[in-house]
Amino acid sequence: MPEGHILEVREVTKRFGGVTAVNHCSLAVQPGKIYGLIGPNGSGKTTLFNCITGLDRRDEGEIRFKDERIDGLKPHQVACRGIGRTFQIIRVFPELTALENLLVVSRKGGLAGNCQRAMELLEFVKLDRLQNEYAGNLSYGQQKLLEFIRVLMTDPELILLDEPAAGVNPTLLNDLLGAIRKLRVQGKTVLIVEHDMKVVMGLCEMVFVLDYGEKIAEGPPEVIQANERVMEAYFGR
Amino acid sequence: MMAGILWLLLAVMGGLAVLPLFASGYIISFTIQIFMWIALAGSWNLISGFTGYVSFGHVAFFGVGAYTGALLVTQAGWHWLPASLAGCVPAAALALLIGYPCLRLKGPYFAIAMLGLNEVVRALVSYFESFTGGGSGISLPPILSIAPVYYAMGGAAVAVTLLTYRIITSRFGLRLLSIREDEIAAETMGINTSLMKLYAFLLSALFPGIVGGLYAWYSSYIEPLGVFPLLTTITMIIMCLFGGKGTVLGPVLGAVLLSVFQELVWARFLFVHQAIFGALIVAVVLLMPRGIMGVLQERYRLPRTV
Repeated sequence: MPEGHILEVREVTKRFGGVTAVNHCSLAVQPGKIYGLIGPNGSGKTTLFNCITGLDRRDEGEIRFKDERIDGLKPHQVACRGIGRTFQIIRVFPELTALENLLVVSRKGGLAGNCQRAMELLEFVKLDRLQNEYAGNLSYGQQKLLEFIRVLMTDPELILLDEPAAGVNPTLLNDLLGAIRKLRVQGKTVLIVEHDMKVVMGLCEMVFVLDYGEKIAEGPPEVIQANERVMEAYFGR
Repeated sequence: MMAGILWLLLAVMGGLAVLPLFASGYIISFTIQIFMWIALAGSWNLISGFTGYVSFGHVAFFGVGAYTGALLVTQAGWHWLPASLAGCVPAAALALLIGYPCLRLKGPYFAIAMLGLNEVVRALVSYFESFTGGGSGISLPPILSIAPVYYAMGGAAVAVTLLTYRIITSRFGLRLLSIREDEIAAETMGINTSLMKLYAFLLSALFPGIVGGLYAWYSSYIEPLGVFPLLTTITMIIMCLFGGKGTVLGPVLGAVLLSVFQELVWARFLFVHQAIFGALIVAVVLLMPRGIMGVLQERYRLPRTV
């Protein structure tokens, strides 16, 4: 699908009681690019991620992945269609070892057959020496990296990253950013929620801006940075 | 280390295999009890130790198996062994029926639902008097030799332990553990958590059903209060936690050590033995929350598959 959209969110609305977390939000994502999703706290970024991955059920609108409707599917069904995600708060499996954290999400072939791929990924983020350590014993940054490669283990076409840079030290951050750029080279599509503007500007080709659950702007980073409405949403009038 | 453990296990199994040839009746029946607890604690481990869904009604499967076995022997004239094995069928059916809705409940809600299940099943068994004998129970023919029951119960204990080993070394086992660790993350990573939980629940119900049938035959008499006691579920839980949840040998160690301990204390301190037992449980939960195997694994860096 070189020209079409890999992900289409159409007029999606999600309410929690009286709060409209996502309000008639539409966005379209083309394959093979890195997208940013930014907005002030509480603007609905994570809720939108949850709607796409099936953790929250949208109230209105539809979500299509590779021309198939995925709103209404269960999270594991969405995942198996090729969407992987990480979480804002780390969600590794603490009492599984680093290696097991990867093996457990593999879907085909025996465990032994997946070991090689898992070890390659651990080497990729320099965690190979900690393969038999419980994930809960790793440092915050290491857990963040482990969660990142756990997504890669399932080989998804679309990867949603929820604040991948938060709490990662500068050296690790550079590795992580390098890894994300490498994904693009491999033809993956990436959608990143991020607060660090430097990261977004340096990484993303297109940026969506949410405010109070509505999309208020979209465009290349440099255009977004100059956008008045965006500045207003972030810094106030 | 692993080879040492394996040899030790083989030696113990060899010893147990010839035990009925020379041991006293007391020793044999005590060992049968230990086998029963290994099978029960090991089964509870499959759902609760692996997925973290604490079942407070596991004795329901045991009781259903006991009644199935007893009825097949007394009403249908079956041999005790196939009658006991058949106990797993209604246990599995009950697990499917109850697991499908109840495994959606999280944490304490699932535990309480399972507690309710046991009470409901017991009440039903008491109510359908013409079929189950109600409160007066069912008497089975007295057994002439306990050696066959010894081997059958031992077989159940070994089978549960081998099944646990098979699961823990598989992707299925890792998936169950990931549910215990973080169910939402597991689901988001593409693991069909509902289905995995149902499989685990089903597997965990099979052997209590069989063991229940063997128990009915072995004890020659069953009645609702005797085969549906909450205490049996609690004992399974304590043994599994004491030995180490989510491990292969944990339930075995827990069942053996606690049975022996209880027997020794019971014989010496008739009146305070329950208090001593209770104090031990509190101490274990406080001092080694991951059980004996948890401590050993940490100290000697053993793999989880032990």
